Amino acid sequence: MSTRTWDDYLLTAVNLVILVFLVAPVVIIVVQAFNAGLFLQFPLQGFSTRWFEKFFKTAAFMEALRTSFTLAAWTVALATTLGTMAALVLARVRFRGADFLNSLMLSPLMLPGILTGLALFQFYIVIGWGRTFPGLVLAHTVITMPYVMRTVAAMLATFDRSLEEAARNLGANEWRTFVEITLPMIKPGIIAGGVFAFIVSFDQFPVSLFLVQPGIVTLPIEIFNYLRYDFDPAVAAAASISVILTVAVVLVVDRLIGLHRFARL
Amino acid sequence: MRNAQPMVVASDFILDRVRGRSLTPLLPLLPGLLLMGFFFVLPLAAMLVLSVLTGSPLAGERVGFTLQHYGKALFDPFYIRNLYVTFKLGLLTTVATLVLGYPLAYQLARIRQPRTKTLWLILILSPMLVGLVNRTYAWMAILSDNGLINSALRWWGRTGGPVPLMYNELGVVIALVHIFLPFVVLTVSGVIATVDPALEEAARNLGANKWRAFRHVTLPLSMPGVLAGSLLVFSLAISSYVIPILMGGFKVITLPIQIYEQVAALLNFPLAAALSGVLLAISILIVWSYFRVMKQMGGPVGG
Repeated sequence: MSTRTWDDYLLTAVNLVILVFLVAPVVIIVVQAFNAGLFLQFPLQGFSTRWFEKFFKTAAFMEALRTSFTLAAWTVALATTLGTMAALVLARVRFRGADFLNSLMLSPLMLPGILTGLALFQFYIVIGWGRTFPGLVLAHTVITMPYVMRTVAAMLATFDRSLEEAARNLGANEWRTFVEITLPMIKPGIIAGGVFAFIVSFDQFPVSLFLVQPGIVTLPIEIFNYLRYDFDPAVAAAASISVILTVAVVLVVDRLIGLHRFARL
Repeated sequence: MRNAQPMVVASDFILDRVRGRSLTPLLPLLPGLLLMGFFFVLPLAAMLVLSVLTGSPLAGERVGFTLQHYGKALFDPFYIRNLYVTFKLGLLTTVATLVLGYPLAYQLARIRQPRTKTLWLILILSPMLVGLVNRTYAWMAILSDNGLINSALRWWGRTGGPVPLMYNELGVVIALVHIFLPFVVLTVSGVIATVDPALEEAARNLGANKWRAFRHVTLPLSMPGVLAGSLLVFSLAISSYVIPILMGGFKVITLPIQIYEQVAALLNFPLAAALSGVLLAISILIVWSYFRVMKQMGGPVGG
């Protein structure tokens, strides 16, 4: 191994600057949330929790937070159920067209969200639904299901099927084998997929943009509407809270199943 | 993708039934497939149909086939301008992301200590935990006329008004680069890690200096990763909505912004559908190239 020379240090120095660029906005959000002034100005104006108070006292933000949570909960429930069922069939049953159906069901990952949003909005108008909460849930399910399918498929790829055969030989029926052998083995994949689904739904913007209406506005859309006309640090408080929530979800799940297993997904 | 033909799939289902093969094992697939069919494939198909009709079939008008919406979307100077801005921002973002991402990816791939590697990975991925709108807000707090940079410049004695860092293309590109940098670093780093450092050492033993060894060995071998990362960033950048609208403040009008405006402000659904058709065609072309590149590398396919 060669010794470190000045160009190694130069590379490290350049990369540290790039890392600062990457991390700075995260730090800025937290600093702004606790900064007393209306604008984040140099030098800082002092410590304050007024923006958090404003966030919690603004009915629109609270309503949006509630909507986002309910929406994410429904989305996770539907996406994990349907996604797991689909992944099980596509990974195990050999039939012509399986590859095509797999690509089709993963395709929402590749398509710009704004197109999915517009197409669904037009479709909902045509079938007479308009902008409804169930419509929003189904839209979020379509775009989050691929994450569950991928994490569950990753578990199934390394699955030892002789365990299931052993259970069958010992007299367990198909359903019991599934509940007692298959399900526990793929559980980490389902949970990881659920976490992805939650995060994606909670942060979703372009699809929601077309489908929300007063009364069912999600938090990212509410924040966006605030930013379009106003520069309000209550947004920084809202952002800090959603960061804390996301990190909490990820940490709890990591404790439970170890997310590093899915780092490559 | 062997049987990328819906008709083949459908006829096989029927044939299997005729032959008496049970379809029961396929049943759990049905709910997800129905959801995708009714709430993804059908709406997109309906949108594409609408983009070539003279009017809305629902309004009871006599509707016919027309390419006028596509003609407008592709040849009207007003909309060509949107396309031009979208491509320009996409290209600038891609180039800037690569310039910043490559050194980071290179060092990340060459770190040997697992602990240091984890720390770097956490730092690189941490922005992804902050939502898209929230990160854009942070850039507004940093770059606006009353923001961190301009107030610091004033504090240090700069006079003559704030430096325009946002509500222009510069601000949009800065925020876009920040969002997509982690994707590129991970994609490129994965490829560089497969390049054996011994190859570079060999070049150096043969007399090449460090830079030459890198330029003639590692850089060419990592080009597929660079290409894949570029395609990924470009397709994400041209379809982005939040950042161009917040950082551009309606002064930078991209294709996605125009699509939304056509629907929300002008209720011109057919033109919005045609503009979407253009964006869809570009996206499909890029995704297709991306998968070709990934396939040639023989590596894992990421999305």
